[in-house]
Formats: sequence, C-alpha cells, structure tokens
Amino acid sequence: MKNTLLASLLCIAATQVYAGDTLKIAITGPFSGGSAPMGTSMRDGAKLAIAEINAAGGVSVGKTKMKIEVVERDDEGKNDRGALIAQELASMDDLSGVIGTVNTGVVLAGDKHLQEKGITRIITPAAGSASMTQWVNKADKPGAKDLSIFRFAAHDGIQAAMVVEDAIKRKFTKVALLHDSTNYGVSGRDDLLDQIKKQGDKLEVVATEKFNIGDKDMTAQLLSAKAKGAQAILIWGIGPELAAVANGMAKNGLKVPLIGGWTLSMSNFIDNAGSNGNGTLMPQTFIEEPITPRVKSFIESYHKAYGVTRIPSPVSAAQGYDAVLIFAAAVTQAQSTDTHKIKDALEDLKAPVKGVIATWKQPFSKWDPANVQTHEAFRREQAVMGMVSDGRVVFADSADRARLVKSMK
Amino acid sequence: MSVIVQLVVSGALMGMVYALIAYGFQLTYSTSKSINFGQGELVMLSAFVSLSLINTGLPYWLVVPGGLLFGVLLGLFVERAAVRLALEQKGEGWILLTVIFGLLGFSAAENIWGRDDRPFPTPVPSDPMHFFGIGITPLEISVAIGVLAVMGMVELFKRKTLLGKAFEAVSADRDAAGLMGVSATRIIMLSYGLSGLVAAMAGILVAPITTVGPTMASALILKAFSVAVVAGLDSGFGVVVVGLFLGALESLASFYIGSGWREAPGLILLIMALALRPNGVFGKASIRKV
Repeated sequence: MKNTLLASLLCIAATQVYAGDTLKIAITGPFSGGSAPMGTSMRDGAKLAIAEINAAGGVSVGKTKMKIEVVERDDEGKNDRGALIAQELASMDDLSGVIGTVNTGVVLAGDKHLQEKGITRIITPAAGSASMTQWVNKADKPGAKDLSIFRFAAHDGIQAAMVVEDAIKRKFTKVALLHDSTNYGVSGRDDLLDQIKKQGDKLEVVATEKFNIGDKDMTAQLLSAKAKGAQAILIWGIGPELAAVANGMAKNGLKVPLIGGWTLSMSNFIDNAGSNGNGTLMPQTFIEEPITPRVKSFIESYHKAYGVTRIPSPVSAAQGYDAVLIFAAAVTQAQSTDTHKIKDALEDLKAPVKGVIATWKQPFSKWDPANVQTHEAFRREQAVMGMVSDGRVVFADSADRARLVKSMK
Repeated sequence: MSVIVQLVVSGALMGMVYALIAYGFQLTYSTSKSINFGQGELVMLSAFVSLSLINTGLPYWLVVPGGLLFGVLLGLFVERAAVRLALEQKGEGWILLTVIFGLLGFSAAENIWGRDDRPFPTPVPSDPMHFFGIGITPLEISVAIGVLAVMGMVELFKRKTLLGKAFEAVSADRDAAGLMGVSATRIIMLSYGLSGLVAAMAGILVAPITTVGPTMASALILKAFSVAVVAGLDSGFGVVVVGLFLGALESLASFYIGSGWREAPGLILLIMALALRPNGVFGKASIRKV
C-alpha cells in the first residue's frame, strides 16, 4: 500500500516535470458524423507534423527543445459541443494554442470564449466567411481591437469567387444555386450571390434551392433547376447531401456540371456519389499528387501512418500539417510557450515556413479590424480548381500544377 | 407535365418507406394498443446488422433473411423487456420503456459502429432508367416491391392462417378472444415480432438510399408516425395510400412553394386529420361501452 502510494506520488511528480517541458496544443474538430472526413484528416495531418517535430527533438525554445503535447476534442460538428469545448480549453492555464474545427457554426459558437482569454487559435479547415468577419468593424459595432484568432483555410470569399469565375469561364449564363440550411450553406449562398454581382452580373440565378442535413431525395430542387434551364449547379453543402444531389442529377437526367465549395472533395461525397460524381469541380488548396519531393513525402507518410491509400480529405490534412508547422515556427520566434507571445509572433512571422501547400512567407500580419485579410493566410493564388475523377481529386487545369510547384520554392 | 409526374413518383417512393414503418406501428397497436417508440432504432439497428453481415462476405440473399431474423428477435426482446410488464399492470409504462429502449439502441449503435454514415452495398443497380421522360432507378423499384411484398405477406398471414385469425381476434377484442382460448400474451408477442420484421425490412430497403448511420431513421420515423396517425392506427393498407400521398405532397410542396417548406404540408395534414378524423382517415371509429 505504502509502495503504491509512493509510486503514484512519484508518477504525479514526474508528469508535472514533464508538463513543464512540453508545448500543449489542442486539436478540435468533428471526428465523427458527416463532417468527420475533414475533421479526422485535419487532426491526422496535424499529428503527423507533431510526430515529425517531436521525433526531431521538439520545438526549440531558448536552449531547450520542447515536445508538443496534444489535447484532442471531438465537437461532433455540433455547435453546442463546440461551445462547451471552447469553454473548457479557455480555462486551461498552460494551453499554448488551439488548432482546428471544420464547421463554421461550431467556430461561431466557441471562438468568443477563446478570444476573451486571448488564446491563440488557428481555424482550419472551416471556410465559412463568418468565422472571421464576426470580428471586423460593423456599422453598429466596432470589431475586436486585438484578435487572437487566425484562419488557415481558403475562406468562402475566395472559393465563391473561383466558383463564379469558373462558371463564367465555361460560358454559362444561367445557373441554379443549391445550399444546405446550416450556417455554412447559407453564408456560402450569400458569398456566391455577392461574387456574381461583383464579377459583373454575367450569371443569371434561375433558381435558389435549399436542403436540410439528412435529406436524401433532392428531386424537387433539381427539377426546379432543370425546368428553369440551369446550365450549371453551384452548390454549398457537405458530403452526404452533396452525394444525394449528384445521384439525383443522374436520376433526373440533369447533365450539367456541379461546381461548389471545397467540400465536394470529401471522401463521403466521392464514395457515395460514385461515377455520378465524376467531373465535379471545386476549389482546393491541396491535390493529392506528388508534385514536389516535399509533397510526395507528406502523402507517403500519411498513407503509411494511417494505413490508407487515399487521404479522406487531402485539403484538411495538408492544412492541418502546415498549420502546425507555422504554429511551431511562431513558438520558436516567440521563444515562449505563452499563448499571447505566440500570437504576436504569428502576426509577424520572420522565417519562411516550408509547408506542403506553399512556402509561407509572413502568412499573417498585425490585426486590423477594418481588414479581415490581416488574419487570413490564404489568398487566391494558393487555391486551384480540382476535379473529381474516378474516386480521386485531380487538377482541373494542368497549368495550376506548374504554378503550385513554383510557389513551393 | 413530366415534371409533376417525376415529382409525384419520386416522392411517392419515399412515401412507401414511411408506409412500411407506419405499418410496424399498426401491428403492435392493433393487438396491444401499445406502440414501440424505439421503432426507428429497430430500423437502424437491423440495417447496421445487415451491413455487418454483408461485410463478413455473406451473399445478399442470405443477408436479407439474417437481417430480418435479427429484427424479429429485437422486436420480441422489446416486447419482453419493455412492454409485457406494463401491459400486465394495465399501465402506460411502455411509453417510457420503449423510448428508453430506443435511446439505448442509439447509444449502442454509436459505440459499436461509430457515428459515421456508411454506404450500404446492394446488388440492385442505381443507374436510372427512363420511362416517358421519368427517371427512376431499379433501386427505387425494389423498395416499392419490397414494401408491398412484405405487407402483403403479413396481411395474407393474418387472413389465411389459424394463427393469423387469432391475431385478428385479439385485435378485435382482447378479452373475448381470451375467453375463446386465444392467449393474448402470445399474440402480442407475435405482433411485436412481426413489427420487428417489418422494421428490419424497412431498414434493409431504405439503407442503400439513405446510407447507414445512427441517425438514419430519425427523420423517417416522425413521418412514419404521422402517416400511421393520419391513416388511422388500425387501417391496414390505409397507410400505403397516406404514405404515397404524403411523400408526393412533400415533393410537390418543395418544388412549388419552395424547398424550405417541404415538411409543412405533412404537418398541416396531421393537424387536420387529428381535428377532423381523430381515428384516422381509414380508421374505424371505435365504440366504447362504459
């Protein structure tokens, strides 16, 4: 009895010493449910980067090297779970940062708790515009003065611009908008409408239809688009319902391109849509093709570490991976595990970070509530159009491949 | 015109599934005046078990009876564990107990199979065929055939066999049937078994369309319940008519009023039915002598 007590006391002491030498990062996201392919890929990509950093001794802070310790939380894609998790994380004293989350609604529900405590938070891969625009100056209320929230994903503004651009490039004039009824779907629809206006009103929106999470029969929405002569469907939703739309299009003989947000690259869209998904177009920040040695080694180590032949959501995995590298670089620059100092370092990152999406040079700058771009890492040039082809996402335009290879230098 | 036909056909096919699940409610209600509020979980669990059977490499024609057998056993288990005691005490405890059983089944599915939606492989192709401009998939036809086949068989059993006659007798008057030597307890057991069978069939039929996940039946079950109530809880084939109607109505509403209004007509229908014909459109008005 005495021995056990002594042993457990020693254990506690040991872990405490250990905790002092580690850098604690939380990874949150939906690791189950309809958004899980994105959540788990992001987590696994991030953990791959962490494993590599730890294998090399850790993040150098001063003279010591610190191992990264991960706290994982599954928000199930549910807003209320996300809020609870954010509250829990905000109350942890030794937390250096939070990375993750897929669903825009979850971000909106939780981030205010992290912002209150000034905890450095990198949103990836949630793309809904509202996650960042909630902090900017509005007519009735000023934005956040000092923001600890960063985004590492091609936000819907960029994506909607690309989708509209693509539809115009393909000489379409009549399109139908389909979206789900979540925060993500509705804000995606608004971004699309906004972009159509911005790009000169060259597209006529003949139908705007919505669907709910869990809907399987999209006949009515699709027939409405078909009856009004839509030449393309622009869509904002997540995997399972997107697949139902693709399958419904085949059934109803609606042979027009499906163009939409990056979620069209989710494995649960590609698998459930099967051959009906071929030719679907979406913006991507990462294509699972070994275009450079660095990308090749990332893809291979992912496949090996998780026993897969295809990353469930390549974009999420690559963003999770690069986000950790950038975070680690900020820790090294700050020479501290203090989350506030890491935030300052992130806003002025000196050394370029060699990621698998690009070589990141100063991805963020000092927060300006009048300019949301200061905390957005992605610009138009980091994104390409991807296309579903026999169960995989490939470059829709081969010129993009060369462009990406160049940006990795 | 073809748009309307397409909408009606697609909606009505989903309506068939509502009807089949609603039929499961009817079976137990007719004999015992009780309903399994965990019926949706029965549908979902049977689909998951069938999926696991497929993954073991069993051929499809063996998976279906396997899944159905599981449904029957689960139905019997619900009756024994959640309903029988409550009925013996002439109480309403079965309401809470079946709800709890459903929650238990849901958590079990989450823990055993996870929360993800998974595709359900089927030998029936889902490539659409076109008749007069109407797109319909063999998968949808198989759903319609399966629904009618299983309901037809149960009805045939009820009308043509001795045990089936006993079933009808208990439905008509439990006490009188008891005096004639028919064991009501046995018949109620049978009705729960059949109800489980019907739920399992619904799960297997609908899984290739909805994919299999713990929440796959949650949307279906509410509509099935509406169908059962609107048709009348002792209406037999009445559920098919109401199911087809509700499915088609949803589809039409979603097209003509807007996709946000899909559920509204069904709910209005439910309220109207409850107000105007409390026993259901096809229900028999019961006479109670005090």
